[in-house]
Amino acid sequence: MTKLSYSYYPGCSLHASAGEYDLSTRELFKKLKIGLTEIPDWFCCGATPAHNVDELLSLSLCAKNLELAEKIEGDLAVACAACFSRLKTTQHVLAENEVKRVQVEKAIDAPVHLNGSVKHLLDILAHDLGLERLASSVSKPLTGLKIACYYGCLLTRPTDVPNLDCTEAPTIMEKVIESVGAETVAWTHRLECCGANFTLSRPGVVLQLTHSILESAKEAGADCIMVGCPLCHGNLDIRQKEIESVYSTSYGLPVFYLTQLVGLSVGLSVNKLGLGAMMVNPLPLLKEKGIL
Amino acid sequence: MSRIGVFVCHCGENISRTIDVERVAAEVGKLPGVALATDYKYMCSDPGQNLLKKAIQEQKLTHVVVAACSPRMHEKTFRKAVESAGLNPFLCEMANIREHCSWVHENREEATAKAIDIVGMMVERVKKNRILPAITVPVTKRSLVIGGGIAGIQAALDIADCGHEVILVEREPSIGGHMAQLSETFPTLDCSQCIMTPKMVDVANHPMIKLYTYSEIELVEGYIGNFQVTIKKNARSVDENKCTGCGVCMAKCPQKKIPNKFDQNIGMRTAIFVPFPQAVPNTPVIDRDNCTMFKTGKCGVCQKVCGPGAVDFEQQDRLVVEAVGAIVVATGFDLYSIAEKPKGSPIKGYGEFGHGKIPDVIDGMTFERLASASGPTGGKILRPSDGREPKQIVFIQCIGSRAREKGISYCSKVCCMYTAKHTMLYHHKVHDGQAYVFFMDARTPGKSYDEFWRRSIEEEEAVYIRGMVSRLYQKGDKIVVMGSDIAVGVQVEIEADMVVLATAVQPQKGADILAQKLGISYDKYHFYSEAHAKLRPVECATAGIYLAGACQGPKDIPETVSQASAAAAKVMTLFSKDQLEREPIVARVRDANCVACFACKKVCPYGAVEEKEIRDRQGNLVKVVAYVNPGVCGGCGTCQATCPSKSVELDGYTDEQIVAMIEAL
Repeated sequence: MTKLSYSYYPGCSLHASAGEYDLSTRELFKKLKIGLTEIPDWFCCGATPAHNVDELLSLSLCAKNLELAEKIEGDLAVACAACFSRLKTTQHVLAENEVKRVQVEKAIDAPVHLNGSVKHLLDILAHDLGLERLASSVSKPLTGLKIACYYGCLLTRPTDVPNLDCTEAPTIMEKVIESVGAETVAWTHRLECCGANFTLSRPGVVLQLTHSILESAKEAGADCIMVGCPLCHGNLDIRQKEIESVYSTSYGLPVFYLTQLVGLSVGLSVNKLGLGAMMVNPLPLLKEKGIL
Repeated sequence: MSRIGVFVCHCGENISRTIDVERVAAEVGKLPGVALATDYKYMCSDPGQNLLKKAIQEQKLTHVVVAACSPRMHEKTFRKAVESAGLNPFLCEMANIREHCSWVHENREEATAKAIDIVGMMVERVKKNRILPAITVPVTKRSLVIGGGIAGIQAALDIADCGHEVILVEREPSIGGHMAQLSETFPTLDCSQCIMTPKMVDVANHPMIKLYTYSEIELVEGYIGNFQVTIKKNARSVDENKCTGCGVCMAKCPQKKIPNKFDQNIGMRTAIFVPFPQAVPNTPVIDRDNCTMFKTGKCGVCQKVCGPGAVDFEQQDRLVVEAVGAIVVATGFDLYSIAEKPKGSPIKGYGEFGHGKIPDVIDGMTFERLASASGPTGGKILRPSDGREPKQIVFIQCIGSRAREKGISYCSKVCCMYTAKHTMLYHHKVHDGQAYVFFMDARTPGKSYDEFWRRSIEEEEAVYIRGMVSRLYQKGDKIVVMGSDIAVGVQVEIEADMVVLATAVQPQKGADILAQKLGISYDKYHFYSEAHAKLRPVECATAGIYLAGACQGPKDIPETVSQASAAAAKVMTLFSKDQLEREPIVARVRDANCVACFACKKVCPYGAVEEKEIRDRQGNLVKVVAYVNPGVCGGCGTCQATCPSKSVELDGYTDEQIVAMIEAL
């Protein structure tokens, strides 16, 4: 089997509020013997603000990052769902639209590279590494842990752009986490929007949306939630106490990044996975389930 | 020496506006072999044709070139005129200076020069034309109709009423198709059974209709006028000749809980069954997969109670061969199941709508069975989950249809109307209920159709919400429907008791396999292709095979019946002659050159290429060569282009003719 190796685009969140996602990704890949080389001098993908203000700017930011990634061998690994979405959208738009491609090439003063594959961590774990190899690396199966897999908006949408899985009824998260021994729950809100960056401008709306997501996960009998997006994580984890107080209820649902849960199953320690950084303390749950 | 007559048409102003027709005639008149070149305002008109006929006789013309429109338009017209003047029709060619020249160019000078070239090419070509004798084939005046839904029934009755025998083959145990499943029909709300079952009885009683139910097409050989069709009669396990249809076997069968496909699996049936009480023929079938006798070898109750001794566990599948001259394909449609992505299909599923998982999310056909007086609930609208009457019901249109991202881009055509009908039926049966409809557009182009749709809103109180649904989920015993109302620009959430999905109309499963047996073409969705979308809508490109109903594309009942009668009329046209004359544009193999690679056989879309043995006088095999059956050949020329040894020539389009045209340029 050839050694898997990727260039790595962490994105701004992973160097800030989602530090534990970055940490757990690096540790997990190290443990699974998958090469990961951070792109030197990468910069912001533009996220939501750029494409709302100026499409050319948004495309150019991503195209430049893609060009930087070309210098490192291997496909490009992306952890953040928003960065993933922006990079994939850029590839899609520039492949379809010759005029925009020429504009972007002028803006970044370099030819646009569209051949390189941009892959979300889920894709790498499920398809490149493969579920069988992933399962064979497990030393501490997550037996008994009931997980609500939360996709949010960007991992699978819009149709034909990310091509990670079926747009409206995906299963890739469930497959990955079940392969390391966990149980998943069938729940209704796994593809609903969490409110994303309206968390700052319209927190009331976000509380309403995240409340129904948490409620749905709880009703389905989940012990915790798994995400693949720093913004979803922020809205569900950091805001959870606030939601509980506004709606006079109690969830106590730890919100894990997928790399943290998979990391636990392959025997990584609490510190290496940044579990201390989570607002809803997951340790009591993990101890109760005998995982720690 | 040829004496060619060239006739240049003005086509009113269609040609003469852009092309100097007089100059074309003058220039072409100088070419060697051209005896006469003239122009006229409307060559296809009666005086135009007379001009041509008179010239042939007076000038003793040997060949004719008509420079006018596309040969698709008027080749037949002029060849007929030429024939009536005593010349072989295949010595007349058309030079297309309208579609290929005047309609597509603006510069008069250049267009005229091009027209002169086009006509000049045809002059050189026509010099090489040979007399082609007409090909005649005998016609077997019996027809096969595949599919016993309303399309097949109508076509069969129309043909049989003209006195010609019809073989009607139906895959299911009874004829009737989907129409027999419907409750009421739009736009008049008459009961489907009431208008359908008499026709089914007519089929059963018609002396000229031979009915094969529970049977399938195994093999189709031959060509127009002369098909041999092998039909597989699946073992019914009941002797049709002995059975009286008394129904005692069904009453006594201990297996009573088998989901009935006819009732969309919400009603139950026995292992020995007729799909519905009005079935034709009223002869039961044993479902061997669910019969205790076939599973364990112990039971046989039906056999014991059968008075005439019709139950036969030993019966085998049987093959019968029927000779027919024409085939009407009327295999109909199926509804797209959205529960899962069909394996190997480019069409994506609708997991997000919970169909197949949430019991009270049903499709339109299931609603028909609920609303039908002969259905499993006796016509009461009740939820499959708990048998309660739904007080809030949501209908969602365009499920699968017009959803390119899900793999289907066409409109299913009938859903807008049947959903409007469903809201009415619901309102008639559940007086205190409320129906909501999520729709993209209401498409109601049909006689009295729009009035019908308006009635569902204005008189029957259906609430139409323009917008689509993103997701459904079960919450307690309700189904939460999340959608958008784009007219108002708000998100809508409805807690419904039942949801009905108007799922896309698709061709029957296995439509592609049947098409391959028949040698007819189909589109990427497996709907069968007509020969011409506008002018030959009921004929296949393969001669002698006709289409009726939804197997060609989504259709409602009136349209299906019209097409079925049209297909029957086409069959009768074919049967009106004893010998069939067909265009002699067929491929011919030069035995001496053929190296028997059979590349032609592989590419022939009509299956016209056969293997022919050549023997010497002592009967020793000299070689095997390809042979093109002129009765089957469609004259497409694919074999000619493919043949590596240049041994195949298409009459009327020989290499010599094509090269002559190129050299004339």
